[in-house]
Amino acid sequence: MARHVVAAEIAGTVFKLEVAAGASVLAGAVLIILESMKMEIPVEAPIAGKIAEVLVSEGQAIAEGQSLAVIEG
Amino acid sequence: MSWQAEADEIARRRAWAHQMGGAEAVARHRSRSRLTVRERIEALCDIGSFREVGGLAGTATYDAQGRVQGVIPAPYVMGLAQLNGRSVAIGGEDFTVRGGTSWGGARRKGGQGGFVEDLAHEYRIPLINLIDGAGGTVTSSRRRGYTVFPGIDGFERSVELLGEVPVVSAVMGTAAGGPAGRAILSHFSVMVRGASQIFAAGPPVVKRSLGQDIDKEDLGGADVTVDIAGTIHNAAPTEIAAFEQIKRYLSFMPANVWELPARNLAGDPPDRREEALLSIVPRKRTQPYPMGRLIDLLADKGSTFEIQPTHGKSVITSLARFDGYVVGIVANNPMHLGGAMDARSARKQIHFMELCDTFHIPIVFLVDVPGFMVGLDAEKAATLREGMRAVYVAGQLTVPTITVVIRKCYGMAGMATCNKNGADIKIGWPSAEWGSLPVEGGVAAAFRREIEASPDPKKREQELESEFRLLASPFRTAEAFAVEDVVDPRETRPYLCRFAALAQSKLSTMLGPKSRSGVRP
Repeated sequence: MARHVVAAEIAGTVFKLEVAAGASVLAGAVLIILESMKMEIPVEAPIAGKIAEVLVSEGQAIAEGQSLAVIEG
Repeated sequence: MSWQAEADEIARRRAWAHQMGGAEAVARHRSRSRLTVRERIEALCDIGSFREVGGLAGTATYDAQGRVQGVIPAPYVMGLAQLNGRSVAIGGEDFTVRGGTSWGGARRKGGQGGFVEDLAHEYRIPLINLIDGAGGTVTSSRRRGYTVFPGIDGFERSVELLGEVPVVSAVMGTAAGGPAGRAILSHFSVMVRGASQIFAAGPPVVKRSLGQDIDKEDLGGADVTVDIAGTIHNAAPTEIAAFEQIKRYLSFMPANVWELPARNLAGDPPDRREEALLSIVPRKRTQPYPMGRLIDLLADKGSTFEIQPTHGKSVITSLARFDGYVVGIVANNPMHLGGAMDARSARKQIHFMELCDTFHIPIVFLVDVPGFMVGLDAEKAATLREGMRAVYVAGQLTVPTITVVIRKCYGMAGMATCNKNGADIKIGWPSAEWGSLPVEGGVAAAFRREIEASPDPKKREQELESEFRLLASPFRTAEAFAVEDVVDPRETRPYLCRFAALAQSKLSTMLGPKSRSGVRP
């Protein structure tokens, strides 16, 4: 089981959480939607697996490179 | 008296060459799931087409009577071959002979200024470098008794080739030093994810210089060099998959800059109208959409080949065909950074535009760019300067371009997506919006005092925004003939196929090398 940390590629705020801890996801599934550059930017699962942790909450401001969630797959 | 004995000796010497570094070294190389350089050439090129040059070069041992006992081949294998029926020059280090390090023959076979580069230059054919070596070794200075000046075997020919013929580099093993530098001096580079690495200097040098312990995959694997840094363009899962990418890439390229890329009709009708295009852009302006799918719907079916798909992802750069003609696509991708141009995507776009310009490939811009990336991180990365370099290089393009504004086209990043020097056409979809800056933020900046003075500032800002949004209709710009047309998205493919055909006449009058003047900002 590899733990894969999903990081934000862009600074912004968390617009919407699409998954919660414990959920199983396929690679490419939208985990979180960030609001940045006046757009709703999807953050996708890089690998298939189970969401071990969601590290942010809706409305939270985040920095580029900040860890958003952890997938075990 | 015939020459049978000598003919036999040729066969014997060739057999020695094919033994490479010997059974033990070859087995060790294969145990790392790596092909030998000869297997690589065979796997990549048309079957039986390899004609080796310099196969007898090496270090021989003779007995007391002067009879040859054996030859350790030079650690570089090269020659001429056919690839998809076309001639190429190809060569690569033989890692099984002294790790593919440089070798002191009368004339270099590969590497900087090697004979394989001369073959590509003299015969005006593509060059393929299969890179698997660390270049120089200090042991050579013990042999010589002195150290060589850097650049005595310089990159002059490698540089010259970049304006003449397609140059492709495949990093097959661990590359550092000269071979690593040569991998970069190419139009297209590919490496094997998890199996090959490239860096300016490897872990022992890093340890000695910085005191850091890092293994070679963490230092120079594809996760770093392809995805983050863009040092190498593409990654492939296996060596064979890397060869497939090379074949695919070269299928779009002419043999040299004096020829046009070949047309290849695959039977996709130029007048195909895709219904899906009518609804691919969401009406809600904050919602992105898959630009990659939009490209697939427009281009000849199955014809696209993306360069740097994992780096600088806010722009997509892809070779493709329209009605069989080769076209370069530069498309902003709203799924990443909202399509904003950052330093990475700017560098990626610059490389791709210069590639297309050099090989006489017309460019289609599919535009959805809100501007340059903003914020402290972006400023630290010199986004403004890298972005203006993209504008500068776009301004120097001589190949025909066409600009299709899908949604946003704002500011200076928008200027990097069109060339207004000639009759290069700009058209918009009904979803298009453009301006020097977007209404959101733009209104707040220009009417700050009026908004602040109003009894309900939020409401006043919204009123002003809706007033300006009405003016931003693409139809109003078309009325003023400030864009050439607004098109039904379903008409886009027929339009672009017509453009690709139209571009051919002009392209055929501008063949040959391009001289670029001026200083990039």
